[in-house]
Amino acid sequence: MSRTNADIARTRALWTANKPGETGAPAYEPNPPVPWQVALALAAALLWQSSLGASLQFRGAGISFVPLIVAWYAVRMGWLRGLTFGLIAGACEDALAGSTGAAWTLATGLIGLACGRLRGTWFADTRLALVPGAALATFLRYCAFAVAMQSEGRPLALPLTHLHVALWQSAFGAIVAFVVLRLFPRLGAANPHRR
Amino acid sequence: MIVAAAIALIQLDSLKTGKPSVIAVAVTSIAVFAQEAGAAAGTFARGAAASVANAPRLAEQNAELREKDRLLRIENARLREALAAAPDARAIAALAEQTGAGTLATIVGYDPESVSRSVTIDRGSLAGIAPGDGVMSDGGVVGRVVAVAPLSSTVLLVTDGASKVPAVVERGRWWGIATGTNTAIRLEYVSQDAKLKLGDIVVTGEGRSFHAGLEIGRITSVDHPDGALYQTAIVTPSVAFGRLAHVLVLRHS
Repeated sequence: MSRTNADIARTRALWTANKPGETGAPAYEPNPPVPWQVALALAAALLWQSSLGASLQFRGAGISFVPLIVAWYAVRMGWLRGLTFGLIAGACEDALAGSTGAAWTLATGLIGLACGRLRGTWFADTRLALVPGAALATFLRYCAFAVAMQSEGRPLALPLTHLHVALWQSAFGAIVAFVVLRLFPRLGAANPHRR
Repeated sequence: MIVAAAIALIQLDSLKTGKPSVIAVAVTSIAVFAQEAGAAAGTFARGAAASVANAPRLAEQNAELREKDRLLRIENARLREALAAAPDARAIAALAEQTGAGTLATIVGYDPESVSRSVTIDRGSLAGIAPGDGVMSDGGVVGRVVAVAPLSSTVLLVTDGASKVPAVVERGRWWGIATGTNTAIRLEYVSQDAKLKLGDIVVTGEGRSFHAGLEIGRITSVDHPDGALYQTAIVTPSVAFGRLAHVLVLRHS
């Protein structure tokens, strides 16, 4: 829905009142994620990855939706909620994997925290940044997972064996992010705290 | 902040104690129902796709299978005769029957990130399954149980890099350790004087999770370096993990 001139004028007036020295105003309305929709998306992603998605793999790698959902939620909601959501998502993955200890919990929490720090910046609402950002978040989460696994006593050789899987997953993540943002541009819209 | 700290502490405490956390128990208990539905849908979809793809070859396959069936019947009769002639073998078979064959389970889930070679089965501590229990299928050794929730368990496949199973080359009784390589199994620490051959059958040695004699796979390559203390062989698993649907959990003794 397009904004009327009156809406824009009202937002501009509010902005100017709060920031007397600045004349710029946020270009978009606040667009926070709906909690139940995010929870549903996470549950669907976990279910897909742990059942049917396991059969649909390319070179041992399937699409990992969990880091994408966590990163997207975090850049819109901030580091604390991103961290919490990341920990919950990671704990669910650890529960389903069974043999990864708390490695996914820590890695996904860390990604939620890091992405949350980008809230309100240019990275949070620019498709040009979100698409490679999805790949980067997936890969960095895997690196954090590898470090956590090593600290839990597993040899580093194991995560290194799966490095190609992480690279493929990152590429798939970027493709998924691109397609989703093309289909649902609203998901890439800005939040009110853009600096 | 409190929620985040609580989740992190619960997970770390679970890691320290080695028991599944409250979160893990809750998630697996809920997920097992959804995964069962997903697995059923997946099996149906795979079956339907395979049927469509194989339709032109069905007649040829049917004839081939009938011939195989005839040969197997002959082989079966011969083996029955051999079993009847060997009192020890018959006693072992009877013992296996007495102790109970184990718990039948269905595979309902996989590692969500495909990092570890593990599967989730639909039987847990309520069915008497415990960590360390061996898991096998009609093809041979599948893996061992590493995590147990009330309604589900996680099985680390024998092909996972963290899996280690005491193994014996059946022909010469040479011992080794079967370690996963993610796609196959590496038989390590086999003494240099062992004369390994391609096609040799590798079975389990008596161990924590398995009794002796369960088939792991067949040797497909041998690395026999000069000057090394041990030789190594690559073993192709006898179980087709991609098509695995049902397994038998052996009680840990």
